[in-house]
Amino acid sequence: MTDGLVRTWTGAFRALLRLLPEAFRHEWLSRADAELEELLERLAAERGWWAVTWAGWCACWDVARAIPREWQAALRRRHGRGARGGGPGMGEGIMNWLRELRLAARGLLKRPGYAATASLTLSLGIGATVAIFTVVNGVLLRPLPYPDSDGLVVLEHHAPGLNLPTLNNSPGTLRFYWQEGDFLESLAGYGSGERNLIGGERPERVEILAATPSIFQVLRVQPALGRPFNEADAEEGAPPVAILTHQAWTTRFGGDPGVLGRTLEIDGTVTEVVGVLPQGFAFPDQGPMAMVPLHVDPEGTFGQFGTQSVARLAPGVTLEQADRRIGELQARFPDFFPNLEQTFLDQAGWSASVKSLQTHVVGDAVASTLWIVLGTVAFVFLIACANVANLFLVRAESRQKELAIRAAMGAGYGSIASGFLAEAMLLGAVGGLAGMMLAWGGVDLLLASGPQDLPRMHEVAVDGATLAFAGLLSVLAALLFGAFPLVRYAGGALASLLRDGGRANTVGRERHRTRNALVAGQLALALILVVGSGLMFRSFQAMRSLDPGFDPDDILTVGVSLGDGVPNAEAAAFYQQVADRVAALPGVTSVALTPSLPAEGNYTNGGSFRIESKPREEGTLPPVAMYKAIGADYLKTVRQPLLQGRDLTREDWESGTPVALVNQTFADRYLDGDAIGQGIKWDEEHAFATVVGVVADARERGLREDIEPFAYLPMVVGDWGYPEMDRAMVMVRTEPGRTIPVSAVRDIVAQLNPSVPLTSSRTMDEVIAEEMAGLSFTMILLGIASVVALFLGAIGLFGVISYVVAQRTREIGVRVALGARGEDIRGMVFTQSARVALVGVTLGLAGAAALTRLMGTLLYGVSALDPLSFVAAPALLVAVAVLATWLPARRAARVSPMVALQAE
Amino acid sequence: MAPSHRPLKPAWFHILLALADGAQHGFAIRDRVEHVTEGQVRLWPATLYGAIRDLVEAGAIRALEGDDDPDEDQRRRYYELTPEGRRMLRAEADRLQVLADAARAGSRVAGA
Repeated sequence: MTDGLVRTWTGAFRALLRLLPEAFRHEWLSRADAELEELLERLAAERGWWAVTWAGWCACWDVARAIPREWQAALRRRHGRGARGGGPGMGEGIMNWLRELRLAARGLLKRPGYAATASLTLSLGIGATVAIFTVVNGVLLRPLPYPDSDGLVVLEHHAPGLNLPTLNNSPGTLRFYWQEGDFLESLAGYGSGERNLIGGERPERVEILAATPSIFQVLRVQPALGRPFNEADAEEGAPPVAILTHQAWTTRFGGDPGVLGRTLEIDGTVTEVVGVLPQGFAFPDQGPMAMVPLHVDPEGTFGQFGTQSVARLAPGVTLEQADRRIGELQARFPDFFPNLEQTFLDQAGWSASVKSLQTHVVGDAVASTLWIVLGTVAFVFLIACANVANLFLVRAESRQKELAIRAAMGAGYGSIASGFLAEAMLLGAVGGLAGMMLAWGGVDLLLASGPQDLPRMHEVAVDGATLAFAGLLSVLAALLFGAFPLVRYAGGALASLLRDGGRANTVGRERHRTRNALVAGQLALALILVVGSGLMFRSFQAMRSLDPGFDPDDILTVGVSLGDGVPNAEAAAFYQQVADRVAALPGVTSVALTPSLPAEGNYTNGGSFRIESKPREEGTLPPVAMYKAIGADYLKTVRQPLLQGRDLTREDWESGTPVALVNQTFADRYLDGDAIGQGIKWDEEHAFATVVGVVADARERGLREDIEPFAYLPMVVGDWGYPEMDRAMVMVRTEPGRTIPVSAVRDIVAQLNPSVPLTSSRTMDEVIAEEMAGLSFTMILLGIASVVALFLGAIGLFGVISYVVAQRTREIGVRVALGARGEDIRGMVFTQSARVALVGVTLGLAGAAALTRLMGTLLYGVSALDPLSFVAAPALLVAVAVLATWLPARRAARVSPMVALQAE
Repeated sequence: MAPSHRPLKPAWFHILLALADGAQHGFAIRDRVEHVTEGQVRLWPATLYGAIRDLVEAGAIRALEGDDDPDEDQRRRYYELTPEGRRMLRAEADRLQVLADAARAGSRVAGA
C-alpha cells in the first residue's frame, strides 16, 4: 500500500514542480523528484504510511508556496536584465495580479472553514471528472499506439439472413481483397488463440498470435531484434518460426540478445525464435506473448470465416470511400468464387463494411458506457460548482461593508472584480490541485475495480492531455462560480452599495432568485443522476433475477489443456480419467466435462446444419445453430433440466453412437417440437446424429444474449471430429457450502501427466459475476455519483433556506408578535423550500426523460422511461429536501419576537 | 570583527552549517540538517534548492566542477563553502552566540 502512496505523492509533487518557472526547475530541481521518492521510500520502510503522507504533504505544500515567490523572482530577474522590448506593462500587470492573489490568499486563510468547504467541494467535482476523463482519454480519444494509426481499418462482413450479424474473413475473402482491394495499401489476416507452451518450469497455456507476414507492413512495425516474417515463412510446410514480444523476451529469456535461433515448443512443435518485437508493442491487445506466421490457403474458398483482418487504407482514401468501395466489390464475389451463387448472397442479406481499427478495438458498448459515466461526473462537477457559487455569493454579501468602503475610497468596478476573480481563481486552483491528486488515486481504483476486460486498459495513464483538462476544469469552475458576484456588482450595484452604506438589510429579491435558481438547478441535475442510477439498479436486478437455465452455485470450474495433436479419443480418455479422480474427492457430488462453460459465450462451433428429415430445397437458406460438446453427467452437474427423452451417457461416446441433445428452442424452431429420433449434422462427411433428448433453454451465449437454438453433442463419438479436444473444463459440483481446493485438481492432473497445464480456475458464480461486471461497475459509479449529487444538493438547499430564515428573522418576529403560530412559520419555510424543490423536480424529470434514452445500450429488461424509477427518484429527492428544510424551519418556528426585534 | 545584526535566513544558515565540514550534494545537505537539528528542521526540495540557488548567487557556496564519481548520477551536484560563505556562517554563529549569551545573562539576572 505504501508503494502506491509513495507513487501518488511523488506524482503530485512532480505535477506541482511543473508550475514553477522553467529556468529554476531545470537548473536546480532536476533531481528533486527522484530525491523525494528516495526519501519517501526510506520513510515508508522505517516509519510507515503515516510518515510518508506527512512528508509528501510537506514537500508538496513547500512547492506550492514557492510557486508565487519564484514567479515573482523570475519576473524581476527578467526585468532586471533589462528586457528592452519586453513590455514592462505586462510585467507590471502580472505583479498586480500576484498582489491580488496574495491578498485573496490571505483573505481565504482567515476563513479556513469557508476556504476548506469550497475547495473540498470543488476538488470532489474536479477529481471525479478528471479521473473518468483519464480513462476516456486513454481508451477512446488517444490514437492507437501504432504509427499513423488513423489509417488502420478492419474489414467485416454481415449476413443477417443467416443470423450472423458480423463475420470476419475467410482465406477466400483475404485472397479476394489482396487481389481486388484497390482501396487498401496493405492487408493482413490474423487470429489469436491459446496454445500449450513447454519449456519453462511448468507447462503453460499462453496466447499466441498467428498473423500473415503482411502485418508488419500494415502496422508499420519492425522487430527490435532479428527479422520480420517473410512470405516463405507462411507457406505450408515451412520450418516453424516465432517472434517474441518484448515482454516474453525479458521474462522468459532474461532479455538475452542471443535469443535468436533458440527454440520454443508450441503445442508440441519445436519453433525457432527469429525476432523480438519492440518494447511496448502489442497487437491486438496485451494478450499474446509471441507471434507465428499464419498460412492462408491459396486455394481457399469462400467459407470458414474465422480469420480477423487488419488493413491500412491506401493514401488519400477516406474511411467512407473505403466503405463504399468494399460494398461495390461484393458484386464480384460470385465471379471470384465459382461455387458461390448470387441468390445465396441475396438471401443471406450479404454486405461488407470497413470499420476503423480503433472503433473495432474499443467497441460501441464500452464507448457509450464511458461517455455516459463521463456525463455523469460532469453533472457532479456542475453541482459542485453551483454549491461553491452559493458559498461565494454568501461570502460576497458578508463583504459588503468592506466593498462599500473600498468603493467609497475610489476603487472602481475593475479592481473589485479582479479581487473576486483572484479569489475564485485561487479556490479553483487549490480545488484543481486537490482534485488532481484525488484523480490520481481514483484512476488506479477505477482500473482495479472496473471490468477486467476493459480494452486498452494498460494505456490509461495521467498524461499531458489529462493535466490540461484538469487545468481547464479549474479555470472553468472558477469562472462559473466567480461570475455570480461579478455580474451582481456590475452596472449600478456599486453605487447602491455606497448609498446603503453596506447595511445588512439589503435583501435583494433578485439575489434570492439567483440562489434559488442555483439550488433548483442542482436538484434537477441530482434528480437526473438518481433516475439514471435507479434505471441501472433495475437493470441489475432484472439480470440478477434472470434464470440462466442452470444452477451456478457450488460449482468449481478448472481448465485442463492437452494442446493440439493428441488424438480425440485419447484426449477424451485423459480428461475422463481426471474427472473420475476428482469425483472421488470427498465432498464432490458430481463432475462434468465440456470444452466451454455455460454463460460465457465463447463458442466458435456451429453454423448451418442439415436435418435428415428435411432436405434443403434449392435456393433456400440452411438452418443455423451453435453446439457444444459435453461429457457424461453434464446435465446433472449444472442442473439443467431434461424435458424429454434421455440424458447422454458414458456409453454413448465410448461406443461411438452419434447422438445429440437439443434445447427447447431448437426443437420448436427447427424440428416442429417433435425432436426425439430426428437426425442432424453440421459436417457433410459425418453421419447424422440422432436427437435423444430435449433440455430446457440455458443462456449459453451470455446472460444478456437472447436464447438461440442450441445443441449438445457428446465429447467424442468414435471418429467424429466435431468437438475440440485440445482443452476441457472440469466442472465440479460440491455439497452445498463445501469447497475443494484447486490444488487438489492440480495434483491429480500432475499425477496423470506432469506436462499438462491448468488454464483457469473459477467458480461458476464468479463466471456469472464477470458477465455482470460491466453492468455492476456502471451501476456503482452512477450510484456513488447520485449519492454525492443528492448530498451536495441537500447542502445547497439547506444553505439557502437557512440563509433566508436568518435574513427574515425580524419579519418572522413581527409575524409571531402579531399572532402567527409555530406551524404557520414552519409552513411558510416549507412552502419556500417546496417551491425550489418543485422547480428542481420538474426540470430534472424533463432532463431525465431526455437523457436516459442515451442509456439504451446499458439497460437490460427495463425501459429508459421506467415508471418506477421516474416515481421513486423524485420521491427520494423530496424526502431529502424535507430533511434539508427541517432544521431551518424548526429554528424559524422558535424565533422569539422579543429577540428578533431587539436584534435591530 | 563585530558580528552583524542582520540575521541570516534560517535555511541559509542550516545549509552553510551543513557544508562547514566539506562538500555535499543537495540531498545529503537535507539529511544532514535534519540530523544536526534532531529532526527539528526539515528542508523540503523547493525551499532547499531555492536557498542553494540564492546562496550560489550570493557567492556563499559554489558547485564543484568535474568531480564526477562514476557511480553517481552525473546530475547530482556537489556544493562547497566559499570564503565568503565561511565568513557569513561565522558571523551568524557569532551573532547567535551574542544573543544566547545575553539571554543566559538575562535569565540569570531574572532568576537571581
